[in-house]
Amino acid sequence: MNISNKAKTFLVLIGVNVTIVILLTILSPTFITYGNISAVMSRMSELGMLAIAETIVFISGGFDLSIGAIMALSGAVCGMLNAIGLPFGLVLFISLLVGLGVGAFNAFLIVNLRLQPFIVTLATMSIIRSIVYAMLKGSVLTGLPPGFLDLGYFYIFKIPFLFIVLIVTGIIISVLLKNTIIGRKIFFVGGNEKTAYLSGIHVGRVKYLVYCLSGLISAMAGIMFVIRIRAVIPDAGLNAPLEVVTAVLIGGTTIYGGKGSVFGSLLGILAMYLLLNGFSLLSLNPFWEVIILGLILIVVVGQKSISESLRRLFPSRKTERQVQVKPETV
Amino acid sequence: MVTIQGVSKSFPGVKALDDVSFGIKAGQVHGLMGENGAGKSTLIKILSGVYTDYSGSISINGEPVRFMSVNSAQKHGVATIFQELTIVPELSIAENIFLGREPVNFGGLINWKKMNEKSVEVLAFLDVHLSPKEPVGSLSIANQQIVEISKSLVLNSKIIIMDEPTSSLTEHEVRQLFLLIQRLKENGITILYVSHKLDEIFEICDTISVLRDGKHVGTKKTTETDRNDIIKMMVGRSLKMLFPERKGGRKNQLLSVKGLTRKGEFNNISFDLYGGEIIGFAGLIGAGRTEMAKSLFGTTLYDSGEIVLLGSKKIRFKHPGEALENGVAYLSEDRKGEGLMLQLTIKENMSISILKRIAPVLFVRNKLERELIRSYSKTFKVKMVSTDQMVESLSGGNQQKVIITRLLMTESQVFIFDEPTRGIDVGAKYEIYKIMNDLTEKGKGIIFISSELPEVLGISDRIFCMREGEIVKEFNKSEADPETIMHVLTGGTAV
Amino acid sequence: MNTTLHSGYRKKGLKEYFQFREIPILFYIIFIVIIFSILIDGFFSIKNFENISRQITTIGIVSVGMTMVIITGGIDLSVGAILSFAINIGGLGISLGWPIPVVYLVMIGLGLLLGFINGFLVTRIAVPALIITLGTMNIYRGITMVITRGIYITGISSSYQIVGEGLLPFMFFLIILAIFVFITLRTRFGRNLFAIGERGESALYSGVPVNKYKVITYVLSGFLSAFAGIILVGKSGFIQPQAGMGYEMGAIAAVVIGGTSIFGGSGSILGTFLGSLFMGLILAGLTMLAVNPFWIGFITGFLILVAIAVDSLRHRRKDYSGG
Repeated sequence: MNISNKAKTFLVLIGVNVTIVILLTILSPTFITYGNISAVMSRMSELGMLAIAETIVFISGGFDLSIGAIMALSGAVCGMLNAIGLPFGLVLFISLLVGLGVGAFNAFLIVNLRLQPFIVTLATMSIIRSIVYAMLKGSVLTGLPPGFLDLGYFYIFKIPFLFIVLIVTGIIISVLLKNTIIGRKIFFVGGNEKTAYLSGIHVGRVKYLVYCLSGLISAMAGIMFVIRIRAVIPDAGLNAPLEVVTAVLIGGTTIYGGKGSVFGSLLGILAMYLLLNGFSLLSLNPFWEVIILGLILIVVVGQKSISESLRRLFPSRKTERQVQVKPETV
Repeated sequence: MVTIQGVSKSFPGVKALDDVSFGIKAGQVHGLMGENGAGKSTLIKILSGVYTDYSGSISINGEPVRFMSVNSAQKHGVATIFQELTIVPELSIAENIFLGREPVNFGGLINWKKMNEKSVEVLAFLDVHLSPKEPVGSLSIANQQIVEISKSLVLNSKIIIMDEPTSSLTEHEVRQLFLLIQRLKENGITILYVSHKLDEIFEICDTISVLRDGKHVGTKKTTETDRNDIIKMMVGRSLKMLFPERKGGRKNQLLSVKGLTRKGEFNNISFDLYGGEIIGFAGLIGAGRTEMAKSLFGTTLYDSGEIVLLGSKKIRFKHPGEALENGVAYLSEDRKGEGLMLQLTIKENMSISILKRIAPVLFVRNKLERELIRSYSKTFKVKMVSTDQMVESLSGGNQQKVIITRLLMTESQVFIFDEPTRGIDVGAKYEIYKIMNDLTEKGKGIIFISSELPEVLGISDRIFCMREGEIVKEFNKSEADPETIMHVLTGGTAV
Repeated sequence: MNTTLHSGYRKKGLKEYFQFREIPILFYIIFIVIIFSILIDGFFSIKNFENISRQITTIGIVSVGMTMVIITGGIDLSVGAILSFAINIGGLGISLGWPIPVVYLVMIGLGLLLGFINGFLVTRIAVPALIITLGTMNIYRGITMVITRGIYITGISSSYQIVGEGLLPFMFFLIILAIFVFITLRTRFGRNLFAIGERGESALYSGVPVNKYKVITYVLSGFLSAFAGIILVGKSGFIQPQAGMGYEMGAIAAVVIGGTSIFGGSGSILGTFLGSLFMGLILAGLTMLAVNPFWIGFITGFLILVAIAVDSLRHRRKDYSGG
């Protein structure tokens, strides 16, 4: 019964994506062009990375609101270091390290101080974001030396390089989660922390790994963003929490932990970006996206409860309970 | 005053109450006794209005009633003081007493004067002198309880149900509670006093009802019965329970525990465990068995004492992982909270303990995993459609089998089973006993914690009786019988 | 001496149960006022305090509503969005020439409505308030953006700016504080909120209408967000679609720093006031020390972390043994 549930979710997701593609192909002549498609692929790369990061965190039963901020921070570090001429390898290393460091800090607060992940990452998001503003003095950094930025123009078999990075990362993390011992542990911690602990799993270590990975992947997203737009923006990833959380939840990962899939999250991000693309192609107000996302978020997470409430409003014979005893029912 | 007629209630797999009928006379202190799992708490929840789905009828003063909520029960004069107190620490005593029905002026403004005065009145009635403005969070548990009792008085309760009221009280506080109960009685209030402490029941109750296995065994006036009688009612049963035969004898020493102590939980625990044997730990709630077991397993630290493994290795586990590596496995008594990942599949719940075996380096060998799980679940006959079923959908018995199978897959030497058959149907119980037997035949040793005496007696080679954190007596299988043990557990000196 | 032995039943009231939980934060406030007064010329001046009081008003009013919601164990991330929605629709009305009372009425009405939607969803759907209000936050903001098409409304008639003059905003803030302090200390509704936030069945078993009260807290939060918006328009003289951005963070910060527990069940409006005052003082002091204004977020985040760490220590009810 459960096998088909998972498959059902995927089928629905794929179906949604296919529907959007078909609709847009009909409605807009420029949709199905190479230029447009590759632009979509490039643009969804960063958010796709963030979705991968958040998926891991959700599966472990946690919550990471700081992904967008880490993205901005690493991007800023990357851009600035690059601007002063450091070798690319070093720049990359330091930028990733920064992301990892923030992730470790999050983990410290959550594991060692036992604070709630939501509030912790809300606070660190704010802290990191303001560090970014301070570093960039609130303005956009442009005119970065080419060189590694040209990766943004790099194509393998006509597919944007950044998109390939996304796919490769997705595959690696997916394999990690499904086929390695540490991946299993992440699921189990999300399933029930106490059970995992009593079964010999070091829950704290697993959480550290999860948040560090999240920070690392968010850092990658930040670097990718800088490469793509060839500039550093202090507002990078500002809207990430909503978009990423929605995409991940649509994709079948639950907020409670223990279940989830990278593939589903990526499909969710794809659907979102296709929608966004559609909006711009059809000259619709892009702000509709936020509205729709908000609605989808509530409906998807609450669908079980909503359908239950509806059933109660319109009870069928089957759901009516029988009162056995006659006496005064108070 | 209260008549309970033919009340039954079932949960998936277990019949918690089976046609229970008895009456509670007005103005009396009526005791309710029974072992863990006898049905006491289910009955309390039905009387309080927590459980609304049951068969049978309940009448108050001749009128049949059926409570649809705790509130409606309260409106009918039935108030319950649960073991887990429902006070709000942030609010004052008076606010707690009048929670939800605070005297108000127009506009919802609380009439403080009235509320405080009435609170003082009620407290004075109970001969307690506390300031009504004090926040309840800063009170002792005994006083918090008094606040709850005051609350039920203010509700004009005719009957107050007290669920294990003395489990967190000092001797002195228990005395005070009894004085309070006397006062309530003098004012015509009926008390249903639920406890496993025989001494207290005999001291304070006028009548005693005993439940056993969900059935009502008997109700007697305190003056017309004695400890032995009550104990017999609590534990004696037609030995329809079968226990698989056990053969094989003692093998090498697996565990030697000396002087294990943790302040406030258990004190000076010493025992040995040999391969091929099952040692049972009998005790009532609060005896400290689970705490002791958890410290053996590395979940809880202990203050002093020594544990030696396999005769030579001194151990002090700091993490369950260490325990498992050394061949010690633990089955938690909290099946749903600690034992299972409910939203995950059977397969996932099982593979959690064999991770090292199926993933020697980094990658999980899926095929190996599937095979191991399949072979183990076949051996232990877990009833399921497929291993991809969500564990939540299984019956209690099957859930337990999943967990036990998982433990067995660790191939440990020492197994600690904490209430393994709680809430499980007879058939599944028998299968679990068989599993335990098989283990001992293979030379493993089992520490078996259970609150069901017949079970402890039926399956253990040696029985340790724990009370208030200490081992009070050790019995051999041959020299023990239910009544003797219950005597020891409830505080009498063994006959 | 009898040691009570029992399983899993921990004694709740800690010895350090402050009667006046606001005392620590009061000390911190006095402390930094002293420090800043020494370091900065003109910090300890009427003009400065007047400025600060004006600044903390808008988020402060929003924080009051947030406090109520958090006490019951919920959270409202949509406060900034409600503020923006209310004042932008109101702005539309202004440009259409509606009379002032109508505009104000519409703004307040929207606050009530949007708050009600939040409350309805939170109590009817078994989804955490966190997710619900994350969703509604974006829905409300999105609708605002769509309707306004990103247009600022400037040149608002000075009659709207009356509420924003001088110390008037702060007066409103104080009045609202007084009202809500009164509600949380003296009314049945207010006191019962603490019972609702307390985990367990205390409120339910005592007949407290839990869902109804929860909805009311969200309605109040929406109302106060809209009201804060009115004050904001009065102070700034224009209406922008991005109004209220980040207010939810600021409000949560003020609430948490002020001593209210994020888990619910305890807290105080007075504490929230002190929390927002504290943050306002820090902000003002740092600005006067010419510290980069972008450090605001840093300080806010840091203070939140400290506050919840302290709160977590106080709430250590869990069993030590890892579960």
